[in-house]
Amino acid sequence: MSEKTISLFLFSGILSYLFFANQLAFGTFISPKSGFLPILAGTLGLILTLLLLGSQWRTEKTTQQPEMDWTKFIFIIIGLIFYVTMLNMIGYLAATFIFLLYLFKISDTPQWLLPLAIAASTALTFYFLFDRFLAVTLP
Amino acid sequence: MDVINMLLQGFYVSIAPTNLLACTSGVLIGTLIGVLPGIDTVSTIALLLPFSYHMNGTTALILFAGIYYGSKYGGSTTSILMNVPGEAASIVTCMDGYPLAQKGRAGAALAIAAIGSFIAGTIGIIGLTLFAPPLAQAALAFGPPEYFSLALVGLIILTKLTGTSSLKSALMAAVGIMLGTFGLDSLSGISRFTFGIDELDRGFDLSILAMGIFGLGEIFTVMTQTNSPPEIPTIRIKDLYPTKEEFRRSVVPMFRGSIAGFLVGLLPGPAATISSFVSYGLEKHCSKTPAEFGHGAIEGVAGPESANNAAIAATMIPLLSLGLPFCGGTAILLSGFMIHGITPGPTLITQQPDLFWGLIASMYLGNVMLLIINLPLIGVFVQLLRTPLNILMPLVAVLTLTGAYSINNSILDLVWIIIFGIIGFFLRRTGFEPGPLLIGLVIGPELERGLIQGLIISNGSIWTFITRPITSTILVVGASVILYTLVHWLKPFIHIRKKETRQ
Repeated sequence: MSEKTISLFLFSGILSYLFFANQLAFGTFISPKSGFLPILAGTLGLILTLLLLGSQWRTEKTTQQPEMDWTKFIFIIIGLIFYVTMLNMIGYLAATFIFLLYLFKISDTPQWLLPLAIAASTALTFYFLFDRFLAVTLP
Repeated sequence: MDVINMLLQGFYVSIAPTNLLACTSGVLIGTLIGVLPGIDTVSTIALLLPFSYHMNGTTALILFAGIYYGSKYGGSTTSILMNVPGEAASIVTCMDGYPLAQKGRAGAALAIAAIGSFIAGTIGIIGLTLFAPPLAQAALAFGPPEYFSLALVGLIILTKLTGTSSLKSALMAAVGIMLGTFGLDSLSGISRFTFGIDELDRGFDLSILAMGIFGLGEIFTVMTQTNSPPEIPTIRIKDLYPTKEEFRRSVVPMFRGSIAGFLVGLLPGPAATISSFVSYGLEKHCSKTPAEFGHGAIEGVAGPESANNAAIAATMIPLLSLGLPFCGGTAILLSGFMIHGITPGPTLITQQPDLFWGLIASMYLGNVMLLIINLPLIGVFVQLLRTPLNILMPLVAVLTLTGAYSINNSILDLVWIIIFGIIGFFLRRTGFEPGPLLIGLVIGPELERGLIQGLIISNGSIWTFITRPITSTILVVGASVILYTLVHWLKPFIHIRKKETRQ
């Protein structure tokens, strides 16, 4: 993904931020209100993004990016969404076990026995560590 | 004399069994995360924040500080053995450390890095012991305008020193400030940018943001990269002895690196990383054989590795005495302070001397522990490096998600961590340094408080920020940096204009 796309994403994000910041009271210099800093920071952010976009359009220089596997990236995101969605439905132990096994397989861990064993033991260890030892209420 | 008495009291606190255990665990975890590429100091501390809920505040902070300075010891291992920096501050070590390993001197380079880190760490902590209390005393005279100007100038210098582009870093800091305004406004109590979501009232949790941008972002990077990791050489204990010549050549760079690193550490920004580059340049400049640099000069390992450790101790000075974190590591340490209801700053030394001096004394102990741990255990760390990343990264991912959930028992936090993880991944891929974003998030509320309170007490007069002696001095520094950056930025335009007129 190019730098320009990220800059445009930031530009739209800051523009939306400024839209909502303008709904807060700015106040005066004697009595600044809750919108005072958000409006100042948003304006500064907008100016900086415009300067950045300007300089990116002026020069075609881009950051050297290392090669990556986009399919793997998309699969990791799908796995994460599944994990967060399923956590409350099937509980921490089952969701973590499935998620770990899925991550092992998409990161090309060979065979099934070792990934299965590590996924099961890790899910159990983390469950006992957080739920029992640290008294965190896990789903 | 008073300092020595207080430090002795600090040693009494730090040798309490729980604190000693926390210090040992901290430096061990720190070394491990420094050794293992792909696991970041900031995200590790963020991950361990929930583990500290049941701990005493002093014990928790000793643990976190141990992780923070311990990580700089381990960072050199992968740089020397695999040409892969364990963390950013060890990038420079690759330049001469790896060629030394190829010449069969990996053990000696690792030993010099550990000894240099110990010497520099000790010098840095002595500096911290001597300078933090008087600075905290001076900071008692600070009012909201002073804090505002210090936070503002800190951010300006930070953007100048961080990353490859000042503009990108400044933008990241501004985005951080904006994110810091989400939630309840601490001055008026009004909800801002919450969109009716109750959980957003507490704003963006620093640890969630750090775990997403740094932790998950790094996991995405490591898991999706296509290049295979390099082979790791075997290290035996007898290989760890540097020759007399190697040791002689390293002594002066270690001390020079310590002083340079300490001074750089006082500046806002990623001090450990910058200091190692500064020290490398300094050593190359002072060397009688500069051509050897890049091909296995031991000074190129001794200087930078010392510098980054001294810098780490120095970064604790503004945090402990002013309450202002100027780098990602101290920002997350501040988060640790806040979780335990401790406010670092001018009053910390007087109100909680046991904590302040106990923490400093633990750093002396931890530094000695690190030297003891690092030299004989280097073989163990090398074995750990053989852990396949396709096994390690999924485990770190689950630990990060579980840790994030346990902070507030909130599924929404997991959604945020994934969003921030994706954002952090793309930001880093496109050359946007996420460090200033984190600092902006932490310093933003301080900046707002200073600005608004300053304007209220001065009846809306902006001149208060310029006419007060401390603020004017600080702001002149900031203005000089902006002016320098502007001139630098406009140079190509002026150059083109001149060329056109000539034609």
